[in-house]
Amino acid sequence: MTKWMLAAGAAALAIVSPALAEKGGHGGGKGHGGGQSAKAERGGGGGGQKVEPRGGERAMRAPQRTERQRLAQRDDRPAKAQRVERRDNDNRRTRLARAENDRGKDRRVEIRTDRPNRDIRILNRDDRRDRDVRLVSWDRDRIDGVRFVPRWNDKGLVRGFADGCPPGLAKKGNGCMPPGQAKKLVGTALPTALMGSMLNGPYRNWYRDNDDYLYRWDDDYIYRVRRDGGLIDAFFPYQNQDYYYYPVGMQYPDYYNYYNVPYQYQSYYPDGGDYLYRYGDGAIYQVNPSTGLISGIAALLTGDPFAVGQPLPSAYSVYNVPFGYRDRYYDTADNWYRYNDGYIYQVDPTTQLITAVINALV
Amino acid sequence: MPLNKLTTSIVLAAILALGACNDKAADNPAPKSEAAKDAAGDATIASGLADATKFAAAAKQAGLDATLAGPGPYTVLVPIDAGFDKLPAGALDTLMKEDARAELTGVLTYHILPGAILATDIDKAIQAGGGKALLPTMAGGTLTASKEGNAIIISDSAGTKARVVSGDEKKSNGVIHRVDAVLMPS
Repeated sequence: MTKWMLAAGAAALAIVSPALAEKGGHGGGKGHGGGQSAKAERGGGGGGQKVEPRGGERAMRAPQRTERQRLAQRDDRPAKAQRVERRDNDNRRTRLARAENDRGKDRRVEIRTDRPNRDIRILNRDDRRDRDVRLVSWDRDRIDGVRFVPRWNDKGLVRGFADGCPPGLAKKGNGCMPPGQAKKLVGTALPTALMGSMLNGPYRNWYRDNDDYLYRWDDDYIYRVRRDGGLIDAFFPYQNQDYYYYPVGMQYPDYYNYYNVPYQYQSYYPDGGDYLYRYGDGAIYQVNPSTGLISGIAALLTGDPFAVGQPLPSAYSVYNVPFGYRDRYYDTADNWYRYNDGYIYQVDPTTQLITAVINALV
Repeated sequence: MPLNKLTTSIVLAAILALGACNDKAADNPAPKSEAAKDAAGDATIASGLADATKFAAAAKQAGLDATLAGPGPYTVLVPIDAGFDKLPAGALDTLMKEDARAELTGVLTYHILPGAILATDIDKAIQAGGGKALLPTMAGGTLTASKEGNAIIISDSAGTKARVVSGDEKKSNGVIHRVDAVLMPS
């Protein structure tokens, strides 16, 4: 209760008008750039996919983001000053963008989990600077300066801008990258080192290579690349952040304004109707095509690290399969089933490892 | 009526009519595509919030009314109006301001869980967990479920408790459980 009493006052002082937050972007301007064709899909952008007997089921591999965010939020530093390094089987990732945060030098936090194979850790950017080969010197945290990280602590409701880039200041030379610089990436060639940087975890199913496009990623972004010519056609951030949303009424960032709805939701949220639909941290946003303003949140996604071979996240001990599937997928001594972000996953109750993934929505 | 005035009137009426249509469309949170409409069904979570006026108003303010009218599926812990009344004076008003929408969204999504979770599912998980069970939220944080007598208690990370006062309202896109307090991410 105390935090709430403080919250009202703190928020009133801290909150800055979102009108100032709007920078760049004319909404639907670039909007339709290549809404993916489902029929053109080639299947998953690389190996590692496993097919279960029922149709449309695919294996996925893990991203690890939730643990990063939770650890980051426990820390005094802004959450976005930390990164997760994922040491997965496809550890060939190079980065295009260069992190610039100098705080918390040499800080390294190993994540302890109660599960096997949870091979992730949070590193300060400095730890990896020596092998940073990104092409341009900017940080997605900063180009996303229109967003902020709300926090609840013993002081009540507080609001911290990511890397000190508050709304309205992004264009005023405070270090935040101007939108124009981000746009320069589009149309340039994807570095050869990134061509093998296949998506992992749920993202591999969310963004699937097709006849026209390849999807590759680095530590910050997913890049949509034209198969013909290898030029970057679009890019957008993939990392989810807890309690972190674009507020309704703000302009969807112009530099990410491409059709980027995850594959399993594309039939639900196509472009070309009353709204544009855009994925951002943890949500699919409904965007007014005329104004570019976010008018609603069409769907929420957890982005939790569900993937075949990976441990079931501990918060999913509760059965949550949608009603329409409960007659087929119910917990037994041999198999559990859990739902997340459009898919039902099969879990070994003994090992707690995810053994298969089932397409539930498409 | 002179022709130019008549023309002006017609154009003005058309603009007003168009505006009314747009307003109507904006007020309807239901998904626009047929596939999404079919998946969401008719009796959605959004349509079941008539008596939860404060939660429904907050969801609309955050743009989450569209989410709750969409395919989901979600499990929603809906604080009853009396639960909002437990908040300190001015807290809800602060969150309902236009420039606090991001915070409000974070708070509300802490009450939205992935998938469909019935009370019996929570009971089983609590039993299997030795008296407690974690619950995932769309916001990213977790909640903790436990029992006090026959009642299911949901606790946030700061220890605030919400009792499930009415559960298992099955909807076409998930399920609603009514709780007697607002939970807070931290």
